[in-house]
Amino acid sequence: MGAEIAPASPIPLRVAVLSADAAQRTALAMLVRKLGHTIADVSDADVLLADGVSALPDHPPAVMLGRGDFDAAGMLDSDAQPALVDAALRAVAAGLAVRRREPVSTHFAALDESDQAALLTPREIEVLVALSDGLSNKAAARRLDISQHTVKFHVESIFRKLGVTTRAEAVAKGLRRGLVHL
Amino acid sequence: MSLPLKDSLTELSAALEARAQSAKAVVAELRLHENSVRSGALWRSDVVIASEQTLPKIETVDVVLAGGTTRARLAGRDPGTNVAVLKLETPAHTALPAASLARAGSLAVAFGADGAGGITAHPGAVTSVGPEWHSRAGGRIDQRIHLGVSLSHSEEGGPVFDSEGRILGISTLGPRGRVLVIPASMVERVIDPLLTNGRIARGWLGLALHPVAVPEALRAACAQDSGLMVMSTVSDAPGALAGIAAGDILLEVGGVPVTQMRKLAGQLGPESVGHPVEVRLVRAGAIKSISPTISARPKNGC
Repeated sequence: MGAEIAPASPIPLRVAVLSADAAQRTALAMLVRKLGHTIADVSDADVLLADGVSALPDHPPAVMLGRGDFDAAGMLDSDAQPALVDAALRAVAAGLAVRRREPVSTHFAALDESDQAALLTPREIEVLVALSDGLSNKAAARRLDISQHTVKFHVESIFRKLGVTTRAEAVAKGLRRGLVHL
Repeated sequence: MSLPLKDSLTELSAALEARAQSAKAVVAELRLHENSVRSGALWRSDVVIASEQTLPKIETVDVVLAGGTTRARLAGRDPGTNVAVLKLETPAHTALPAASLARAGSLAVAFGADGAGGITAHPGAVTSVGPEWHSRAGGRIDQRIHLGVSLSHSEEGGPVFDSEGRILGISTLGPRGRVLVIPASMVERVIDPLLTNGRIARGWLGLALHPVAVPEALRAACAQDSGLMVMSTVSDAPGALAGIAAGDILLEVGGVPVTQMRKLAGQLGPESVGHPVEVRLVRAGAIKSISPTISARPKNGC
């Protein structure tokens, strides 16, 4: 095995704040400090946090709040949670791009047609619904009034049919993807 | 210095450029607000078509055309076919070419607005032409046309031309950024209903459904291997009012085995609204028949 990997300690970033609105600028600066970073000038910053501006400098890379058609390295909703802003600042400062994953509905998609060979049985769907509610095998067994052994049997069958190895994948692939409102 | 080359490549280039010139009369730029534009196609002298999914909730929008800027009213939108219809306050001169059918492998050019009153041009090929398909939002689209170009959100909704300069339809972004074309014939079919009613009514039962395997013990009695399991029902919607409940497995709707979701979607077209439909389902191991009256899908789409 390779060298031991030490957990990353949160190193503070130098963050420049940009907004056309003075009050918003103050609010962003407060948020930056609360996240443990320091405020810096654009020329001296690791990353830029911008909101409501019409142009961005070439450097440093920016996290943009709200909708803008600029090609900022990071783009978040204007009401993004502080933890999300922090994650985006760190990622963008490290040279990555950050985008919120577009909800499915913004793409014009076809009705998903499930693989007929991989169709789950009604019981398996009930078990999967229990998993999607975050229930353990034991709790799922209690809810469905079956033995834990039977739940385990169903979970294994679900994983096999869907070709997945985790509960989260099973829920995403087997339940959310196939659900249609008609 | 060598002489400038003149061969089939320069001819192709010149032809594409000429095509872009003529497309300028058809491309519309929708100004949502500063820094945010969308593309559309001047379909009739007073009608611009755009991609429904790219438009926020708006009532009016400024539209920049080759002949100048005019105000337009969002007259109707249909998520099912991804068509939005904008009615211009001041009619413009239109030069929409004749419609054409897509052929796989043929060249096509997708046009969009560049955000500064000009156009963008994306030449490419029609990569595939498939049969009729159903969108997740409940629409039935005549053909599944894929285009081998990539477009940004602001260019989506612009016109797509074939190599002879005829119109194939409007561009639409599908899953994973793939570019689809909503066929011109499809657009034609929804324009007038959208101008009149603002929307296209679609049949609705108010059920959240999931495909499911019919339990072994019931297969012989059902004569089919798969059905649609009701995961939840919307209260006061046709399904729930008729007594359809979570856990039921739909087998047949209107006499058609619903072995796939699109079989049911096919039963819920605009013409189905207001009519009762026979639903055969499995509940607690027994087969039952229930007849809900199909209503129009509400605006929020659920």
